Amino acid sequence: MSEFFLELFSEEIPAKLQVNARKNIYDNLKKFFDENEVKIKGQIKVFSTPNRLVVYIEKIAKSINKKSEEIRGPSIKAPEQAIEGFMRSNNVKKNQIYKKTTDKGDFYFYKNPSKKINTIELIRENIPNILNKISWNKSMKWGNHDLYWGRPLKSILTVFDGKKIDYDFYHLKSSNNTYIDKDFEEKTKKFNNFKSYNSYFKSIGIIIDQDKRKSFIKNELLKLSNKKNLKINFNEKLLDEITNIVEKPKILLCEFDKRFLEVPKEIIIITMQNHQKYFPTFDKKEKITNNFFVVADVKDKEGFVKDGNERVVEARLSDAEFFWKRNRSNNLVKQVSKLKDISYFQGLGSYFDKVQRIRKLSAFISDELLISKEKMEIASSVCKVDLMSDLVGEFPELQGVMGGYFAESQGFDNEISLAISEHYLPIGMEGRTPKKLYSIALSLSDKIDSLVGFFGINLKPTSSKDPYALRRMAISLIRLIIENNINIKIRDLISYSCVTYKEQSFEFDVKLLNNELSEFIFERLKNYMKEKEIRYDIIESSTSITTIDEILKIFKKSSVLSKNIKKDYGLNTIAIYKRCLNIVNSEINEKDEINSSPDPGLFKNDFEKNLYKKINDIRKYFSSAGREENYLESLKTLSGAKLYVDNFFDNVVVNDDDPIIKKNRLELLKMLCKSFENYFNFSKIEA
Amino acid sequence: MLTNYLVLLKRDQFGRDMVSKKNKKKKFHSFQDTILNLQKYWAKQGCLILQPYDIEVGAGTFHPATTLRSLGEKPWKTAYVQPSRRPSDGRYGDNPNRLQHYYQFQVLIKPSPQNIKKLYLNSIASIGINYKDHDIRFVEDDWESPTLGASGLGWEVWCNGMEITQFTYFQQMAGIECKPISVEITYGLERLCMFIQNKKNVFDLEWNNDGVLYREVFYQAEKEYSAYNFEFANTNNLFKIFDMLEDEAKSLTENKISLPAYDQCLKASHVFNILDSRGVISVAQRAEYIARIRNLTKNIGKVWLESQS
Repeated sequence: MSEFFLELFSEEIPAKLQVNARKNIYDNLKKFFDENEVKIKGQIKVFSTPNRLVVYIEKIAKSINKKSEEIRGPSIKAPEQAIEGFMRSNNVKKNQIYKKTTDKGDFYFYKNPSKKINTIELIRENIPNILNKISWNKSMKWGNHDLYWGRPLKSILTVFDGKKIDYDFYHLKSSNNTYIDKDFEEKTKKFNNFKSYNSYFKSIGIIIDQDKRKSFIKNELLKLSNKKNLKINFNEKLLDEITNIVEKPKILLCEFDKRFLEVPKEIIIITMQNHQKYFPTFDKKEKITNNFFVVADVKDKEGFVKDGNERVVEARLSDAEFFWKRNRSNNLVKQVSKLKDISYFQGLGSYFDKVQRIRKLSAFISDELLISKEKMEIASSVCKVDLMSDLVGEFPELQGVMGGYFAESQGFDNEISLAISEHYLPIGMEGRTPKKLYSIALSLSDKIDSLVGFFGINLKPTSSKDPYALRRMAISLIRLIIENNINIKIRDLISYSCVTYKEQSFEFDVKLLNNELSEFIFERLKNYMKEKEIRYDIIESSTSITTIDEILKIFKKSSVLSKNIKKDYGLNTIAIYKRCLNIVNSEINEKDEINSSPDPGLFKNDFEKNLYKKINDIRKYFSSAGREENYLESLKTLSGAKLYVDNFFDNVVVNDDDPIIKKNRLELLKMLCKSFENYFNFSKIEA
Repeated sequence: MLTNYLVLLKRDQFGRDMVSKKNKKKKFHSFQDTILNLQKYWAKQGCLILQPYDIEVGAGTFHPATTLRSLGEKPWKTAYVQPSRRPSDGRYGDNPNRLQHYYQFQVLIKPSPQNIKKLYLNSIASIGINYKDHDIRFVEDDWESPTLGASGLGWEVWCNGMEITQFTYFQQMAGIECKPISVEITYGLERLCMFIQNKKNVFDLEWNNDGVLYREVFYQAEKEYSAYNFEFANTNNLFKIFDMLEDEAKSLTENKISLPAYDQCLKASHVFNILDSRGVISVAQRAEYIARIRNLTKNIGKVWLESQS
């Protein structure tokens, strides 16, 4: 077996592009070697640092045997020229081709001999093409060259069994050399195998293998933080990103002035993680500390790196502190009227208009949820004021959260502050859903108002575009309802929202809007259920008969049915329903109108009477269950009819000679189906 | 582009080490020395040292020596200082890190040379930053200018976690694919000098070695321009002026005189920025105004390119 080793040296390639390129080059090579039946023992390994993309195959077959192949030529009736052409293209003489009969006719054939091909030749010929096929999410050109790459590609090292493979790739020539300094492309060094390459870079502190680099960083961070009694909430995304922007990681423990801890912790965390790629630390009580870790890419010999990073954080935090002090004392209520100057959206008024609508809508919801209307109105009125603060200008992702802090520091009620803080949540399928009623009501009002507004001015999402993130908003709406067990009639909210728009002279086609928006929310509900792994047929049936006022009910029933469909009560319920429905459908006479009201006086035997009694029990069950209905219990109750249905079918002939008796029996079965439909239309469910 | 976020510094010992070997007596480079050193350095690399463009612009990139010269096949190497105006970044001189007027040092080389990273690192050494002692990182930062119809790929350069330079390979300018590719290096001079001089407040920067501070030069200007940009600019007139400039740019473009047309376009762009900082442009209008400027740039780019062949 042989060794194959490739290094592509470039200027710094961004983290995401690196991850993508690693996967891409792995897939391309794997496919290529598989197609050519080149045997590989073990794995194709792909490593990267910001500047080096490396492929290493420890054991690859030195050569392959191309089996002998029969190649079909032209038909024996073809003109001489075609036959000569065939011989020429395969480089054979007349005596090497032969005739053979196939089911498509008689043809000339040539059998090429089995052939040994050296892998090194195969690679030399094909590698430029393989490299060319790497698809970068974003690529660029540089200088006068035509090559597109993630960032400028500077050299290519390709070695097979200790020997370099020569080839051209655009303006570059492969060799067995690489640049050893990533910034100063002057000194080069020859490498004839991966081992010496890897150990050379290890000797100067560079970890080529990203997995090893990642665990090195993580272990060092753990070691250092344990020593200092600090906690790090490992954010995998951040750790992965950092792994891909350093080659010789060094962890530095830094600190900032404790006075900045008075700044809201969200600001400190965002500053550290998103802007500076640092790890914030927490104490045993999960409180943020003034210590943080920096993963540097250089040994901090003089202490400059630590100092510098501390200065940057303090500068950023002092900016934030300046704004925090200025903004938090700025009276929220007094600022509300300034929202008039900020446009919410053309055709939907200013933020002041929006807040007035949300206030009415959330007051309406407060009646439904039995919470204080007064508090609700206060929370709504000030919930958008933070958009005018410097801090939200600096940290747009903290909208709402900052408003909550301002409210808290100005002595607003806790529930009000929390509602302001959480009113953008949840964000689509991601993250947490507010649990407090005031937060839920405010979030619901905000979302309904936006959805109604954008549908009202006909800016609906298309299949490919959703620039105002309305899908995400609808999903958030659905999650608020389902995850909090809220019974609320969405159609009423939509109608009332339209009224609030109308009061401000924004006129929409209310009927059309209601239909379109309901359908849109329904589609999102289906998606949500799909995410929750509810079966497709159940989703389809559950949404086919009811309205979006029933979101909670639809979801609960469907998820109970989906979870229990293979249990005996699930199977039985479906079987009973389908059996009865089939008989009704096949025996029904066009003239007759079956309205599921059998006449007990026409029953001839106990089997009919018992079934009738059972169905009435089921009906009673449903009418008493009401809002508190336990859907598992309901399913079990339905399946309890099995004995009565079996007895009925075993002993009663539906198709009685007397059409009146027959019709009465069909009425009975139809009554059963109707009662079952209190739970669900089971007709399209596959057991 | 460099955001107008300047970073302050605290410890003294840091600055001491920033001294280059030749200047042992001096504690650090003054603001004007930093400019002089960068000019000297890039002149030595064969760049033409140009002067600032005499029209208000938001960044050094808008100087025709960058926008227009990055188009077409002719090689081009230049370096210059460009005063840059960002009306909405003004803070009346109250904020230690923000200015509505600041300086960029701009380098543009076409085609981008193979050893540009080395050239860059040596350039910061020439102003006292010894890259070997610091954590210099090239952090992904792709650039797009909707008004210029331009985009590029590159990095922001971090020194110990602080952004000190913007480094971009232009891919498109004025809606035209670049060939060959230019590389643009933009230093935010105030921020860089605050790092070198170890200052917390931009107004405390030492302009020269005789005790003149940045405050003396620009504090009043920051105060007055902030008032103009946020309070006093006559928006009715500015809206009209914008339309007039746009008309003028269009007619000059039709007459195939690209450079004067580009001047009108720059002026319109600045008027738009003031209107924006006066808060009289809605979200929807914003996109529309940007598109109008972009259209001008695109047509001017075409005319300029034709004139080059």
